[in-house]
Amino acid sequence: MPQFEPGNFIPQMAWLVVAFAILYFVIVRSTLPRLGRTIDARTNQILGDLDSAQQAKTEADRMQAEYDAGVASAQDKARARLAEARTGSAKVIEAKLAESNAVLHDKAEAAQASLDAARAKAVGEIEAIAADAAAGIVEKLTGTRPADSDATSAARAALG
Amino acid sequence: MSSATNPMEQFAITTIHPLSVFGQNVSFTNSALWMLIALGIVATFLIVGTMKPQMVPGRWQAAVEYMYDFVLGVVDENIGPKGKAYVPLIFSVFVFVLACNLLGMIPWVGSFTPTSHIAVTLALALIVFAIVLVVGFVKHGLHFLTFFWPKGMAWPLALFIMPIEVVSFFVRPFTLAIRLFANMTAGHVLLKVFGTFVVALGSFGALPYVFGVVPLAVNVALSALELLIALIQAYVFALLASIYLNDAINLH
Repeated sequence: MPQFEPGNFIPQMAWLVVAFAILYFVIVRSTLPRLGRTIDARTNQILGDLDSAQQAKTEADRMQAEYDAGVASAQDKARARLAEARTGSAKVIEAKLAESNAVLHDKAEAAQASLDAARAKAVGEIEAIAADAAAGIVEKLTGTRPADSDATSAARAALG
Repeated sequence: MSSATNPMEQFAITTIHPLSVFGQNVSFTNSALWMLIALGIVATFLIVGTMKPQMVPGRWQAAVEYMYDFVLGVVDENIGPKGKAYVPLIFSVFVFVLACNLLGMIPWVGSFTPTSHIAVTLALALIVFAIVLVVGFVKHGLHFLTFFWPKGMAWPLALFIMPIEVVSFFVRPFTLAIRLFANMTAGHVLLKVFGTFVVALGSFGALPYVFGVVPLAVNVALSALELLIALIQAYVFALLASIYLNDAINLH
């Protein structure tokens, strides 16, 4: 086997050392670090991009929350104003109602009073007429006219 | 057996350019040539892939990044955050072994697999081992020697275990080298043996296709298996290198 011939050892080992030294010190040492730096830069860029995306998301979330809060406060404000307007108009209506009620009440009372007066007056007139008629009837039957006061009290008793 | 049908012939070392340094023979051989080819391919791959690094990678860059991520995962899993500095080393080991393994899979008579030679794998394993020793002693000083003392064990028992620990530690570069070399050699011998079967049975009497097709089919399947082994052995080499480095970095 040529592999075990001692004469073949030193030349091959010497050339391997030369080739490997060139490979390591010249080729790999000059190319690999550049690649490593590029890969690091890429990793950093990706991490940075992810970071800025995260920041943008946080900002968007914050804006969303702000917007939601704005909508909620506007709704609250509108609701409050609506309630205020409602109570205000209710008060106005109540006042107007009370006013018109008072007016109506006064009118009804006045009407009642005049009604009462008219009724009393009518009753008085009916009594007078009834007493007069009763006195007339008694005069025709008995020939004597009773006293006006008797006729009036008798008529009042009969009318109840 | 003629040299054309000898399954070991594919591992022959031929000198392309004789060279001697300080009286030591360091000739440029076909093995050295294929190591340099592997180096060239890896260099092209890496240089083109990282020429203009971009945020959104192109195809070349994505391929290099994929491999880098893979090695990073292996190192991270086995060493942890302290292993970051050793990623280039493990990466170099991985791509070099992978390139050498895969180059041997070219179905061409001139192709050669440097990693099928124990001299190459042993040299690589010794480099890793030396780095483990240096890192261990630099990080922990002589305290690194406590690595051989089994932790939390009664001392009489530990006294027996310690030599075993020492032996298993120093045998590491050899197991690392032999595992890769044996896998590559065995696979290529098998491919070559079945290749000779194709020729031998293909020229066999009246039914050449019937007999020749069977070992050819086996060779196709074996090639797929060998591709898998080429990848897995490169991974195993890098994985074990990072596990050994972990022992030196995170002393138990």
